[in-house]
Amino acid sequence: MDLKTVTGDQGNLTVTLEKHPRYVDPTKCTGCGVCLEACPIRYEVQLPEVEHAARTAYAQATDEQVVAGIIDSYREERGNLLPVLLDINRHFNWLPRPALEHVSAELKTPLTEILRVASFYNAFSLVPRGKHIVNVCLGTGCFVKGSTRLLDELERKLGIKHGQTTEDMLFTLEVVRCIGCCALAPALRVGEDTFGRVVPGQVSKIIDSYTKTASL
Amino acid sequence: MKITSLAQLEDIKKQGLKLTYPDKIKIMVGMATCGISAGADKVWRALAEKIDALKLDVALEKTGCIGFCQREPLVDVVYPKKVRLSYQAMTPEKAGQLVEALAAGEIFSDNTLCRIDEEEFLMEGVKRPYANPHPPELPAEVPNYQDLPFFKKQVKIALRNCGFINPERIEEYIARGGYKGLHKVLTKMTPEEVIAEVKASGIRGRGGAGFPTGVKWEFARQAPGEIKYIICNADEGDPGAFMDRGILEGDPHAVIEGMAIGAYAIGANEGYVYCRAEYPLAIKRLKIAIAQAEELGLLGDNLFGGDFSFKLKIREGAGAFVCGEETALIASIEGKVGEPRPRPPFPAQSGLWGAPTIINNVKTWSHIAPILIRGADWYGSLGTEKARGTTVFALVGKVNNTGLVEIPLGISLREMIFEIGGGIAGGWKFKAVQTGGPSGGCIPEEFLDTPVDYESLGALGSIMGSGGMIVMDERDCMVNVARYFVDFTKDESCGKCTPCREGTLRLMEMLTDITEGRGQEGDLDKLVKMSELIKKTSLCGLGQTAPNPVLSTIKYFREEYEAHIQAKKCPAKVCKPLITFQVDEEKCIGCQLCRLKCPAEAIEGAKKVVHRVTQEKCIKCGTCFEKCKFAAIMVE
Repeated sequence: MDLKTVTGDQGNLTVTLEKHPRYVDPTKCTGCGVCLEACPIRYEVQLPEVEHAARTAYAQATDEQVVAGIIDSYREERGNLLPVLLDINRHFNWLPRPALEHVSAELKTPLTEILRVASFYNAFSLVPRGKHIVNVCLGTGCFVKGSTRLLDELERKLGIKHGQTTEDMLFTLEVVRCIGCCALAPALRVGEDTFGRVVPGQVSKIIDSYTKTASL
Repeated sequence: MKITSLAQLEDIKKQGLKLTYPDKIKIMVGMATCGISAGADKVWRALAEKIDALKLDVALEKTGCIGFCQREPLVDVVYPKKVRLSYQAMTPEKAGQLVEALAAGEIFSDNTLCRIDEEEFLMEGVKRPYANPHPPELPAEVPNYQDLPFFKKQVKIALRNCGFINPERIEEYIARGGYKGLHKVLTKMTPEEVIAEVKASGIRGRGGAGFPTGVKWEFARQAPGEIKYIICNADEGDPGAFMDRGILEGDPHAVIEGMAIGAYAIGANEGYVYCRAEYPLAIKRLKIAIAQAEELGLLGDNLFGGDFSFKLKIREGAGAFVCGEETALIASIEGKVGEPRPRPPFPAQSGLWGAPTIINNVKTWSHIAPILIRGADWYGSLGTEKARGTTVFALVGKVNNTGLVEIPLGISLREMIFEIGGGIAGGWKFKAVQTGGPSGGCIPEEFLDTPVDYESLGALGSIMGSGGMIVMDERDCMVNVARYFVDFTKDESCGKCTPCREGTLRLMEMLTDITEGRGQEGDLDKLVKMSELIKKTSLCGLGQTAPNPVLSTIKYFREEYEAHIQAKKCPAKVCKPLITFQVDEEKCIGCQLCRLKCPAEAIEGAKKVVHRVTQEKCIKCGTCFEKCKFAAIMVE
């Protein structure tokens, strides 16, 4: 710690200090692991400032009630973190930060642990996703029947790569490892609608049908 | 009403039989995910609207998948006192015509797939024939379904009710002998007798590893502890497999009954079905089934009025392949990150929340009730000495007949692919069959006469796995397939142990180099060495089997790897950096079709002028090759 400035008079001084990161003294460390357990930012996902600012409060007043309702419906169950997160993810299409903080406080689970779970499973998203989630199946059955070409076509059509969301927040393009529709490969899913035996030429029409319903 | 006696179960059975076989015409639509994706929901709407418009008194029901997904959407019509007919590839238009024919009192004979002359009631060991299987108005060439090569060699135990009952109605399950197994076990057998029967049947875990189910149950039975758990592994993460989805969507009660029997055997009062979230319809039907079973007192407290209680809950997965591994699955139910842990202790000793836990796959559970009703000897008479009974495969890829197939263990791969599967689609040549998903291997033509069982497939460097069987033809590049599977395991590796996390990444880098023309001499030895290391040192099954696709393809398709590395060519013409598209000047007539369809605008040429591919612009999508009607596009 360095002393930077000292202002004021005797008995009423204002001191500015510069803190440095602390290091472990290897000669004293016994490897007990307590610091590791206690570290609050161990698993915390570090995000750019813009996204961080967007997450300090719920976007809508009703959101808090929704999340409270979801937490209540699983409160008595053992091992309820996953079902709670799945329902929140389903409601918002992603996991907003305030909701995670809410869950952390209610379920008495450290936020770090929640973020670790949320970043482990593919179903969860820590960034906002589009209204329609387009999933191209890359299971083996679909793969050998050419589903990568559907993906190419969708990337061209939507102008994004997989894992990204269109600017109008209408579509998020993702890949999924098998939706169990292998006998009708190649398959893709938009929201809850499944399409089988899709050829690249049909992709445009399928996407347009969702663009239309959105503009109505 | 809670059922407390066999007589009450029989009453429900009578109701169920009336619902399954009404006195009027019954139309059944195959409404599993496969059917719906082929358009079954549109067919359903068309049927309902037409029935409404014509004010016809018919029963319109949904059913699960009978297995023949290739021909979806499937619609079945039961003509009372006559026959049941299956219609294939139905469209809303055809559905309207079908209803009109029914209104006119005729038998609709378009789009017929087959007759169903009789239905087997597996639990009772009887066949229920239809009165007049071949009415004169039906064209003579419509075959009985058991004469179709696709169904001929199948023996349906796990799939016994799929496509025959409405999965959202417990009465129809009971009508076909459902919950009688549970009644028998609870009223007439001790847990030890149940375990002895399951052991005697010789059934082995159908999740892939093939551990004897009865032995595993016995461990859990003998493990100390008041609280024990039963889990159904429905986290079918294997890409290219959908057996579990088929069963859960078509016959969820078969799984529930099996689990209740298993719970009684090991002394558990609570169970979980861990189902992947990618199967929303399976979860929905399972929820309905559990609610119905609870209402009838077949789940919950004091089953059949006795002192055994069993509660069943559903847990949804969240998209992690590794959660199919039992210790990772348990961690996931506990609300944690799905990372495996070293065994022992095995879950049968210390599983969910530290209690003895039995995890079996969907297919295993659905076999339990028939084993207890029909007996271990009957079950043992199917299959081979070491692999008894039947198992379900998802036969997909480049075969003519794709779908769900249940066969006695021990039939050959050739029978599977060329008889049941009807051979390779489009007249192409067979190249390899892949079993066991990312943990399995690719088997070439010379081993097609190998029987399908745990040991034989293992000896070839593949595994039986949970039941994915993907057929590939000469247009599939085996290096690319190996790269695909490694890409999958690399993504799905949980990252806990180093050999799997880092090893799969290195394999991926080497395979990518080979498919992109940067392969070097000695790469194959490195691949093999790295693969062996990963196999020997990984923590769980995912890592221990992840190199199998690489090793098996190197073993059987070495020359294809060498072509990539030495000649920088992809013999199957798949790997984009190694191929070019060109126009054959002699064959091109300048029709402009390829030019108009090219998404990259890489083809130049005017009408009746030979076209040319601008290589700098070409994205190698293959559209021109497919669209050309004159075979004028050459791939080199």
